[in-house]
Amino acid sequence: MVRALWTAASGMSAQQNNVDTISNNLANVNTTGYKTEVAEFKTLLYQNVQSTTTSANGENKPISAQIGLGVRNSSVTSIFTQGSFYASTSSTAFAMDGAGFFGVQGADGSNYYTKNGNFTLSKGINGLTLSTTDGYPVLDTEGNEIAFADDIDSSQLALTSNGEFTYPDESNNPQLLGISIGIFQFTNPAGLEKTDSSLYQETAASGAVINEATSTAVTKSSIKQGYLEGSNVQVVDEMVNLIVAQRAYEMNSKAIQAADEMMGQANSLRR
Amino acid sequence: MLKGLYTSYSGLINEQSRLDVLTNNLANATTNGYKAEGSTSQSFSDVLAYKIKDESVGYNTARRIGVNTPGVKIGETYTDYGQGSFKSTGNTFDLGLSGDGFFNISFTNKAGETSTKYTRDGSFTIDKDGYIVTKDGDFLLGEDGKIQVDPLKTTEVSQAGIVTQDGVPIDTILLTDFEDYDYLEHYGENYFQPVEGAEFASASAKVFSGYLETSNVSVVEEMVEMISVTRAYEANQKIMQAMDSTLDKSVNSLGKI
Repeated sequence: MVRALWTAASGMSAQQNNVDTISNNLANVNTTGYKTEVAEFKTLLYQNVQSTTTSANGENKPISAQIGLGVRNSSVTSIFTQGSFYASTSSTAFAMDGAGFFGVQGADGSNYYTKNGNFTLSKGINGLTLSTTDGYPVLDTEGNEIAFADDIDSSQLALTSNGEFTYPDESNNPQLLGISIGIFQFTNPAGLEKTDSSLYQETAASGAVINEATSTAVTKSSIKQGYLEGSNVQVVDEMVNLIVAQRAYEMNSKAIQAADEMMGQANSLRR
Repeated sequence: MLKGLYTSYSGLINEQSRLDVLTNNLANATTNGYKAEGSTSQSFSDVLAYKIKDESVGYNTARRIGVNTPGVKIGETYTDYGQGSFKSTGNTFDLGLSGDGFFNISFTNKAGETSTKYTRDGSFTIDKDGYIVTKDGDFLLGEDGKIQVDPLKTTEVSQAGIVTQDGVPIDTILLTDFEDYDYLEHYGENYFQPVEGAEFASASAKVFSGYLETSNVSVVEEMVEMISVTRAYEANQKIMQAMDSTLDKSVNSLGKI
């Protein structure tokens, strides 16, 4: 009896995690560069309750009677499919088309990676610095800050699809500035650690960071200026998942009720 | 009298086990590749009942009065290996199996022992070295062992289970089936393991990349089962109470003037 109670409890807490994941996806449906997450489950161990078992036609079965002990949350995995692009009026809005990430220097000085290309220009020590909306400097291909002369007209700043900045000269012809925005890849992006502000951090599971500028093995990403990558959350899928999760939660609570009722009856045996 | 008490007791215990089994189904209603389980009930072996010291027929010989069934126990727990429905995910490494067969997983337990386990849960991913692994990091086996792909290239998996990159076949996902599923034991972690006497068979399953096989638990069935379990439990409990009140009569009221 207690077995059924705990089994159902494991089911309820797993579904709670499921709903938590789904609601986080729904909360971030408009977050630039957000990647949807999915919770997955695995069975817990099995307990042998009776060693001799008999099949319907009276023969002994080779395995004992086994009762499973519930479920656990095996993983919450980010799905790195491409989100849809939408236009932005900002000239420092970039959408990453491909598997690449933008590099950002965090407050603690270490490097973080993001799919959110909504950058702005802010006043820095070396001039106008390209940074995230939180003020973290964006990295170039060498891993340094991207700084422009203070007097540039930011609306004239353009970016080629492979990440090189151009600025028009006197005769209005775009000239390469010799600064390229860094594009980074990971062999296993699902292994990246998620931190706040849409930033990811490299881990042992993600593999070492690969700089697209120096690696020949990777499929190059391209950058679209004037666009942002929306989240890849599919609202309809999430709603269906939510229904499934909620009903599964309810079913498990019914099992707890049934177990409780039965225990109550056992209790009332002795009058 | 007391015999009946123990018979209904065995009934209560059996209903508890049935509830345990169905609760596990409900807990795993959203587990990928989970196969619904059930249990059957079996009566205890019949015992011959004899009348002893029956003086009505002369000579104190024992007389057979028929058989008595002293209770019920679990007959077997079985697994319904029927196909679960597919859920589209669009991820290359989510592999749904349609038909009979299991994925082979090289599973290493916490003690460091490695063995091959079988599963229908097709939710895989690649690790940093490009091996196709489960979400817990256990390796999916192909015909040439662990399957290693180039993580920086696009991978395709055909219905025959052939893993290709840039049109070059890398390996074929190994699928195994069994002659008799009765020889499969649950390990937990969505894995099955064969017991002694299991015979391998060639799998007929097709691999669908971008899909996951969901559990084949039928909620309606489980709910009906739950009603039947709780009511059967109640009935056994009522029998027990009836026995108790009869005993009460014979102990406390009999012989009262």
